[in-house]
Amino acid sequence: MGDLLTDAHWGVLLILLPLFGGLCSFLWPSAVKFIGLATVSAVALSVVGLGDQLLATGVYHHAVGGWGAPLGIDLYADGLSLFMLMVTALVGLGVSIYALDYFDQDEARRFWPLWLLLLGGLNALFLSADIFNLYVTLEIVGLAGVGLASLSGGGAALDGAMRYLMATLLGSLCYLLGVALLYHSAGTVDIPLLAERLESTPPVWAALGLICAGLALKTALFPLHFWLPKAHASASAPVSALLSALVVKASFYIFLRLWLEIFSVRTEGVDDLLGALGMAAIIWGSLQALQQTRLKLMIAYSTVSQVGYLFLVFPLAAIGTFSAWSAVAYLVLSHALAKSAMFLVAGNLMHFGGHDRIADLDRAVQRLPITVGAFALAGVSIMGLPPSGGFIGKWLLLNEALNQGRWDLVFVMMIGGVLAAAYIFKVLGFAFTQAPVTHEPKGVPAVMEWSALLLAVAAIVVGFLASPLMLILGIGETVELMGAGQ
Amino acid sequence: MEALDFALGLFDILLVFLVLSLAWLVMSSEDLFRAIVLFVAFGLLMALVWVRLEAPDIALAEAAIGAGLTGALMMAALDRLSSVKPIQKVAASAQRKQLSLSSKVLPLIALVLIVLGLGYALLSLPEIADGLTPNVKENMAQSGVKNPVTAVLLNFRGYDTLLEMVVLLLALLSVWSLGGERKLSPRSTNPILGSLCRVLVPVLILVSCYLLWVGADAPGGAFQAGSVLGAAGVLLLLSGWHVEQKYLLWPLRFILILGSGVFIIMAAVLLLIQGGLLTYPVAQAGWMILLLESAATLSIGATLAALFLGGVPKSRVDQ
Repeated sequence: MGDLLTDAHWGVLLILLPLFGGLCSFLWPSAVKFIGLATVSAVALSVVGLGDQLLATGVYHHAVGGWGAPLGIDLYADGLSLFMLMVTALVGLGVSIYALDYFDQDEARRFWPLWLLLLGGLNALFLSADIFNLYVTLEIVGLAGVGLASLSGGGAALDGAMRYLMATLLGSLCYLLGVALLYHSAGTVDIPLLAERLESTPPVWAALGLICAGLALKTALFPLHFWLPKAHASASAPVSALLSALVVKASFYIFLRLWLEIFSVRTEGVDDLLGALGMAAIIWGSLQALQQTRLKLMIAYSTVSQVGYLFLVFPLAAIGTFSAWSAVAYLVLSHALAKSAMFLVAGNLMHFGGHDRIADLDRAVQRLPITVGAFALAGVSIMGLPPSGGFIGKWLLLNEALNQGRWDLVFVMMIGGVLAAAYIFKVLGFAFTQAPVTHEPKGVPAVMEWSALLLAVAAIVVGFLASPLMLILGIGETVELMGAGQ
Repeated sequence: MEALDFALGLFDILLVFLVLSLAWLVMSSEDLFRAIVLFVAFGLLMALVWVRLEAPDIALAEAAIGAGLTGALMMAALDRLSSVKPIQKVAASAQRKQLSLSSKVLPLIALVLIVLGLGYALLSLPEIADGLTPNVKENMAQSGVKNPVTAVLLNFRGYDTLLEMVVLLLALLSVWSLGGERKLSPRSTNPILGSLCRVLVPVLILVSCYLLWVGADAPGGAFQAGSVLGAAGVLLLLSGWHVEQKYLLWPLRFILILGSGVFIIMAAVLLLIQGGLLTYPVAQAGWMILLLESAATLSIGATLAALFLGGVPKSRVDQ
């Protein structure tokens, strides 16, 4: 039995299960919630299985079709992949439970197939070791994201989804052109083989530029974030949570993966540019978040600024070590948990009051204490206060910046923290005061309140789990080796 | 021989010139109908470009999808836009006036820089790169088919095609998630369309089957066959094909997911038996690929026709 568990192809299951579940939920609309929850739970269990396997045997490697690179496609899972799969399963489970009560039957029939196929695409993306296969997974993730964003209907959602479609297609095409150049230069699309064969030539530089630009657009790195606030704010709450917590991180993961394995030695100057854009994103996103009068737009702009933190790792890791890379993984995890919790809270408040005007939150704290508590806890992690996951990530990053004497980064991170505190306390302040506008409040189902709270609590709890999580991240030593090899 | 080379060289130059000028005309055309017609012409010329690049498989796909079905999809979209078009035109012309000099010049400079950079990168590419061609040739005997493109798409990189089938399904799901229902159009009174349909649809189905079958040995395969089938579906929809509501629910959905479903089940079964995702036993690879392609052809055809309808289909009798 023990052998069976460690030998099972958890990695392949993680891809096939949600895709199959997605098809089933499309075929049997009446059982859509059951199929959806069962699939997401099975995926979460498979992630546990894969984690167990990786801890016992090191990296997972699977040659699809038995061909092996360069002819075939390889699946590959190391600590970083496992980490991203865990984030996806965790957030996915929380949002799925929330979605059970959020959508009515008609909306649920459209939501679940798209979400399960998105989950399959995300898992496939985190498990791929092939840059063309990554392109296909990006297409799944992008198209499912657009479909989900347009789900809530109405002009604003359609407009947001259309911008998102244009941005995500442009990003994919840039990435694909880069892949074509790399294939022509090295005769392979397999990441480890590319790492061996690529030399610093003009086509490789052009490919680097195109891939970085395409992925930055999909990750909404300032100033390519223009599509994000509208798309994320106008979608329905569970969808916003998935888009902000997971979809944006998927393209960032490819960025990180290619950077660690292919581009790291060929990039003087680009890392500083990315760092500068990251800093601009932190300041600009936070200032915009502070000015918003709508809660969902505020949370969306907060994503723009938090994405900025992720890009600070590139200038730091140029001469840094493991801690810079683990900091960014930690930030991805804690932001995913906290941001999904925040969007679910926004969904609860909209369900309760029928609006998301920050100024009219109308003593929400007394009527929805669990929801407002979830917002506060998620806010602690977004601000980076101890003892949250966000704190660990930002503290590691800050430490690295101090060690390297990068005072500009230190300064921007401090400002970003203060601004984040400002926009979060602004919401909490209005939640405590009584607004002049009175309206008919609608009750919020307990499931919706508790799932938001659980995600927010998770964002805090991961702050205490630093050592086991670092252990997972170190599997395969991709992150460690590349950091030390600089 | 030299004369032929010279003539082909001239033809290539003419082709490039035509493709570029058509692309420009498509983008600069103010009349959307004209732009779509030009776009279809552009797609046909692109198919010729692929022929000249010795990629007949892509040429077939480009002709069927790029020129044929995309044109039909755009025409369908234009038809729906007809009610809002006047407003749009006003908005577009207003926007054009607002564009300041800097917002015209800056993108132009950026574009020129990108074109120069990419051009330089392309010119410095190694001239002859075999890529994976020798590798593919070496393993053709184990692939179960004789057409290298089919071998790559369905065997060596079959996993990509599995995911591509999901992408196609997602495109339709995204259109359906917009929430609109579309009634099938009433029976056409146009006698030309009717007789055209009666002649063309059986031919298209036959062509589709031929493309599917021949894909194992020569250019062709599921995507080309599926798009021809999709074209037959579009013709049927235009002529007012009557489908009962009960067939538009479960049976339609079943056909739509058949391609990706068979792919996933096959992948899971092979994982259990062979211990690898889509690892075919060499002796059985041929018919397994044919099975996958047949299912994919049906799904691609149904999906493309459903995309043309542009909403959840509804029978016209069922009020």
